[in-house]
Parts: sequence; C-alpha cells; structure tokens
Amino acid sequence: MLGVEAQKPPKGKWTTAPFDPRFPNQNQTRNCYQNFLGETWGAGRKSPDYHRCVKAMNRRGKSAQPCEYYFREYRSLCPISWVQRWNQQIQDGTFAGKI
Amino acid sequence: MNHQTHAFHMVNPSPWPLTGALSALLITSGLTMWFHFNSMTLMLLGLLACIMTMYQWWRDIVREGTYQGHHTPTVQKGLRYGMVLFIISEVFFFAGFFWAFYHSSLAPTPELGGYWPPAGINPLNPTEVPLLNTAILLASGVSITWAHHSLMEGHRKHVIQSLLTTIILGIYFTLLQASEYFEAPFTISDGIYGSTFFVATGFHGLHVIIGSTFLTVCLIRQLLFHFTSKHHFGFEAAAWYWHFVDVVWLFLYVSIYWWGS
Repeated sequence: MLGVEAQKPPKGKWTTAPFDPRFPNQNQTRNCYQNFLGETWGAGRKSPDYHRCVKAMNRRGKSAQPCEYYFREYRSLCPISWVQRWNQQIQDGTFAGKI
Repeated sequence: MNHQTHAFHMVNPSPWPLTGALSALLITSGLTMWFHFNSMTLMLLGLLACIMTMYQWWRDIVREGTYQGHHTPTVQKGLRYGMVLFIISEVFFFAGFFWAFYHSSLAPTPELGGYWPPAGINPLNPTEVPLLNTAILLASGVSITWAHHSLMEGHRKHVIQSLLTTIILGIYFTLLQASEYFEAPFTISDGIYGSTFFVATGFHGLHVIIGSTFLTVCLIRQLLFHFTSKHHFGFEAAAWYWHFVDVVWLFLYVSIYWWGS
C-alpha cells in the first residue's frame, strides 16, 4: 500500500457545511464568498460568523475552541483554487472585495 | 371608369425596399470589413445607401399622402397600427439591455467584489447632469404636447414655436450627454458596469437623435403647410416616438443612474 498514512484525512473533525437558508439554491458561490470575506474581515467591521463566535465566547469567558468548528466548516465549501487565488490577490493588493 | 372602389392605398412599385435591403447588406458586411480588415469604405457606402433610401422612401410617402390624397382615414388607421407596433418592438429592444443590467447588478459576482457599483467604479452623480437631462426631456414632453394642441386648434405660430422648443431641448440633451460621455471617469471597456451603462445609454442617445430628426422633418413640413388641424399623422407619430424616448430615459435614470449608484 502506498502511503497509507498519507491517505488518511488530517486530524480533527471535518464536517460538511450544513444547510444555510440564506443560500437555498444550487449555486453556492455567494455562500463560499461571503464566508471567505467573513474570515478575513478584521475587528471593527461587520462581524463574520467565526469572529462573531470568538467575540461572544471571549465575552462569556469561555474558550474559543468550538469556534474552530465554523472555521473548518466554511472552508469546506470553497474550492481550494478560489481560496488560493483570493489570498494571492489580497497579498498583491488586487482583491476586489471589501475587507 | 378607372377608379378604386375601396379605401385602401395600392402603392405603386418602388425601388426603395430593395435599396434598403441592399444598404443593410452593405452596412453589415461593411462592419466586418471595418472590424477585421481596417477598411471603412463598404460601411460608409452602406450608410449612404441607407440614408438615401430613407430620404426618398419617406419623401414618396409624403407625396402620396399630402400631395396626392391617398391617406384616407382607413389608410391612416393602418399607419397608426404600424407606428404602434414599431414602438412596441423598440420597447422589447430596450428590455434586453435592462435585463442585462439587472442580471449583473442584482447579483454582483466575486470578481466585482460582490457589490454594485463594482470595485473601482466611480459612478456619475445622479443629482448633477443626469438630473438636468431628466428635467430637459420632461420639459420637451410638455412642449410637444403644447405643439399638438396648437396644431389641433389651428395656431400656426404656436406650433412652430413649441416644435422648435422641443427640438432645441432635444439637442441640448444630446450635447449634455455627449459631454458626460467625454468626462466620465469610466469607459465602455470597464467591465460589465461600463458595458451595460454605455450600451443602454448609447442606444438611448441614438434614439434621441432619431427622434429629434423626425421632429425637425415635422417642423419643415409644418412650415410648408403640409399639416391640417384634423390630419397630421406624421406629427402624431413623431410625438409618440418622442414620448417613448422620454419614458426610456426615465427608466434609465431610475435604474442605472440612481439605483445603480
């Protein structure tokens, strides 16, 4: 068997993103894009799901560990090539979205 | 005895439909020569043929109606149907461009930044020249209505004054819009925003020029005493067309200039 270890998924719980009624149709582009923006938005802007979760947990004095769940879940939506391209654009300063 | 016993106009054979079709062929193939082979000759020939066809065909219609009396009420009814159907077809023509605009602007893609106006686009301020243009066209709608009423009441001087006012307002609109085109910070090649903006407003501008020309022809005919207070369909057709142009602008203004900014 070639690389049995390599064929195992990375450690941790990776789930499929659940149904989001904000994006009910087959075209999930907006779902991916909105959540990608959400992750890269810093504090002071409209809070994205992940960051919102972190803030709320910190306010209640709890660990932000469960928030990792959001992070992985929405990363599973976007094609890797899109995320790579957008991250490259952010680095180059040519990203069109508001972050 | 050789006279017709029906109210319709059996038009004499005419070469203009053929020359019109030929001009269409020359224009379209001329566009190909211009786009791909860097030559404008064929297209210019086609445009010339088109203009000559229009001039002679409509001149003949004026001769048949005004000078020879062929335009009975029945014939006029047919002409009315024709103009209405033509304007309806133009409505559908513009509907396509509005569809394109709304398709792109209601769900802006990630490439645009996910918002409208897209990233990097500074739209024109709708409260500046575009608002003035709206006022100009609305005023021209009033002046052309004044012209129509003057015509029906037999006030020759007022017809000439109000028709001239309408035409001048139309030219003023065209000049302002041309200046906007030169001064705009974005061009037709600036993504989908540029495409939808300039194609929709551009075709509208072309229709303003066509409408102004139609009105000018009416002014000339009025000066030559062609119209009576009861029979002036050419003028009515021009007025319908002018109101159509005005309405299209209102949709453009609200959709692209105002909502789209």
